[in-house]
Amino acid sequence: MRLYLIVSASPSLCPGDNPQATHLPRAWAPLARPPPHGSRLTADLFSTNPGALKSPVSEQTTTPEDQRSPEDPLTPPPPAASLTPEPHNPGTPPDLFESVAEGPVVVQGGSPKLSSVPLDLPAGGNGGEGKQQPTFFPTPLQEVSLEEEGDEPDIFDTMSSPKLQLNQAEGDGGDEFIQITVSDPQKIGDGMSSYMAYKVTTKTNVSYFRKKHWSVMRRFSDFLGLHRKLVEKHLHSGRVIPPAPEKSAIGTTKIKLGSDKNADSGSLDFIERRRAALERYMNRTSTHPTLRADPDFREFVELDAELPRATQTSALSSAGVLRLLNRVGETVNKMTFKMDESDQWFEERTQQIESLDAQLRKLHASMERLVNYRRELALSTAAFAKATAVLSSVEEHSSLSRALHQLSESTERTQTIHHAQADADFYVLSENTKDYIQLISAVKDVFHERVKTFQTWQHAQITLAKKREAKAKAELAGRMDKVQQAQEEVTEWEGKVERSQEEFERISRAIKKEMEQFDVMRVKDFRDMVIKYLEDLMTSQQQIIKVWETFIPEAKAIS
Amino acid sequence: MAPILFQDGMEDVLPSETNGTKSGRSDTVDLNDSTLQVDISDALSEREKVKFTVHTKTTLPDYAKPEFSVVRQHEEFIWLHDRFDENEDYAGYIIPPPPPRPDFDASREKLQKLGEGEGSMTKEEFSKMKQELEAEYLATFKKTVAMHEVFLTRLAQHTVFRNDHNFKVFLEYEQDLSVRTKNKKEKVEGLFKSFNKSTDEILLAATQKDVDDYFEREKTFLLEYHMAIKDATTKADKMTQAHKSVADSYIQLSSGLSQLGTIEGPRLEKFINKVADTFEKARKVEGRVSSDEDLKLSDTLRYYVRDGSAAKDLLYRRLRCLANYEQANKNLDRARAKNKDVHAAELAQQNACEKFEHISNKAKEELNDLKARRVTAFKKNLIELAELELKHAKAQAQLLKSCLQSLPEE
Repeated sequence: MRLYLIVSASPSLCPGDNPQATHLPRAWAPLARPPPHGSRLTADLFSTNPGALKSPVSEQTTTPEDQRSPEDPLTPPPPAASLTPEPHNPGTPPDLFESVAEGPVVVQGGSPKLSSVPLDLPAGGNGGEGKQQPTFFPTPLQEVSLEEEGDEPDIFDTMSSPKLQLNQAEGDGGDEFIQITVSDPQKIGDGMSSYMAYKVTTKTNVSYFRKKHWSVMRRFSDFLGLHRKLVEKHLHSGRVIPPAPEKSAIGTTKIKLGSDKNADSGSLDFIERRRAALERYMNRTSTHPTLRADPDFREFVELDAELPRATQTSALSSAGVLRLLNRVGETVNKMTFKMDESDQWFEERTQQIESLDAQLRKLHASMERLVNYRRELALSTAAFAKATAVLSSVEEHSSLSRALHQLSESTERTQTIHHAQADADFYVLSENTKDYIQLISAVKDVFHERVKTFQTWQHAQITLAKKREAKAKAELAGRMDKVQQAQEEVTEWEGKVERSQEEFERISRAIKKEMEQFDVMRVKDFRDMVIKYLEDLMTSQQQIIKVWETFIPEAKAIS
Repeated sequence: MAPILFQDGMEDVLPSETNGTKSGRSDTVDLNDSTLQVDISDALSEREKVKFTVHTKTTLPDYAKPEFSVVRQHEEFIWLHDRFDENEDYAGYIIPPPPPRPDFDASREKLQKLGEGEGSMTKEEFSKMKQELEAEYLATFKKTVAMHEVFLTRLAQHTVFRNDHNFKVFLEYEQDLSVRTKNKKEKVEGLFKSFNKSTDEILLAATQKDVDDYFEREKTFLLEYHMAIKDATTKADKMTQAHKSVADSYIQLSSGLSQLGTIEGPRLEKFINKVADTFEKARKVEGRVSSDEDLKLSDTLRYYVRDGSAAKDLLYRRLRCLANYEQANKNLDRARAKNKDVHAAELAQQNACEKFEHISNKAKEELNDLKARRVTAFKKNLIELAELELKHAKAQAQLLKSCLQSLPEE
């Protein structure tokens, strides 16, 4: 079934426009609640797992999805409605098909991939079904697909078509570059309804983004909302989703209720910690090529307006409670279900992950101790510097007094060095390790997804056996009418078994690939972290050297 | 065994590092031909006490043998100090401050805590930390030996003190001095005495006007200085402690990393092991920074707190003497007026006058002496401190640099 997109309004979509008019009209748009912004919808549509869609539109889209899903390349559609086509795009496509023609490279016939191809051009390799909605924004879309080559194989292993993708390394987009900084935390509003907003600045040369360098303002719940959406969409494909910074009721309330003027060092620390955590989170997410191309991610990074409140991230919302219950259920499941592991690889990896988790936690604890002790050292050195200054002022022997004064200043300088080093201890070493502990959790989640699919498969097999039994019984009893039904059920369940087995195998493969990339990234990150830390430590020592070198002549000058 | 001259204040504290010979960094002040050299040649640490072997070499005729040793405990040192302190003849001198009691409580506590936490760490970690604590214990031990020694050598160098009879007994008498620690009554008495003394001190300070500006100034200075240096000592101690904690925490970091390396497997193992090794080495350097700071900085400050205290005592004694003198004067005047016991009063007044002048002269000398001593000691120790800090910082920087260079490229 082909889906035809009806372009209604002018494609120049401005964020302020009436969403309904400017969104990609979907064929079924009237049937469903139009999503707050198009990208979400499109993203859901093209989510690989038919079952996972949670958007209201999902029900309607299931069928076309089913048909498409194994074969259609999941080209993350561009963040549709919200983007105003950029000048560098071949103009605002007044007409879908025209833009296609103008579109860069990709579309030129035969490019196996994509869905980026306008409606009626079947994407080269995709069977006959290349119709994807999203071609509204062909240009960005096409560009996306170029980058997303790495994507295809992950999701659709069965895809034979994507030949172009093969040259691009899985995961690492070659010389692609994207760097995100989170800065300028600001408190917006007052009292309990206030919140912290952060400036998210992106620098990139990845082509499917509109600009090379821009900023947007985002609030904390936006980050959490993004994480949640990414988890919903990608976890079951076997992807490791970098975890978002945790919520903290105390810290946040302190900020909300405190005024700007008496922001004490405690809350400043908290804000700085959070800002750094958000930055690391964004960068980790953006290094992952699939997540980077995800429309929600792109919208998050690019949309020049306030994102709709991700109310569902609030702990007390109904969605929040639901999530909590789900999580409890999952935890129980994790503990009780022992999977028959036939794959040696998974067996080993699971164990390794567990020990890694335990060891990292221990390491993190000792890192925190180091941070505390060094902070104490900085404080006590400062106190000593002051006491020495007093001593120097009391001392009557003039050159000794001068020397003591110098000592006080030198100690003051070492105190600053210690303090800075403590910060390095914290941000470079301790926080990164904490991130890794959370990442390991995300990995465990992914592994667990696989276990769940295994469970589904087993369950399906059991049910199939039951249905077969029922059919046999019916046949024996000679109840022809029942047999017919039983037969249908058997067929249905046979299909389900097949699909769930495929699903299981698919996710297993995906995880393996994902873990390869994860391992590479993890090793690299760890090395980078340690090297940076050692460099910081060395710099501190060199600064200390300077301090004492200047002091010695002073001490020698005591007559 | 070169004597440690008291000018140095706090000499290199670890005498036994060089097999018992002290590094003779002494600015030798030549005393008279007759020598009296005292040192602590050995020390034994038993459960609760430390036994010091006091070794004397002398050419003084009063002594029975030219060279001999006795065993003394801390209490006996305190006894000796008290004898000097109480002696009115020495009222005009600064009595060298007594050595502090050997205190291993902190170390013992840490050792105990380590023992309790044994289960939660690897064998490697545990043995490393145990080694650290043992080294700490040893350092404390060496320090207390040195402090007892400095006390004795100061007495031995002092022209007047060295001839004191009690000192001779202390050095020579082979039996126990039977100095029992004060029993309760005596402790309470002692407390009363010191309480009285301090109130008297305050009273005097408030009421007694000093005839000599010099002393007036000195008093003010000493008081102020005493407070400032006491404060600095406490802060210095805290700082060295913190430094030690940082160094110790490297141990866990290092061993945690090693374990991580085993789990990570070949890809990261070599890398991690190198880093863990570096942390271990860095820890040793940091530890030395901490102990050097303690020795050169804290101990110097601490010694001069105590010396300053002794100087304050001197000033107090002088002031008291002055008060007595003025009292005696009044008494004489009254006696003359009443024409009763005039002679006795005259005698008393003369005594008081002599005493006072004697003290004042001596005191002036002593105070100047103290000043000079202080400046020298500070200079020496500050220079040494700075040089050591520099050395260690360079060592660490070098260590880290070579580690970074040698990290295997992926």
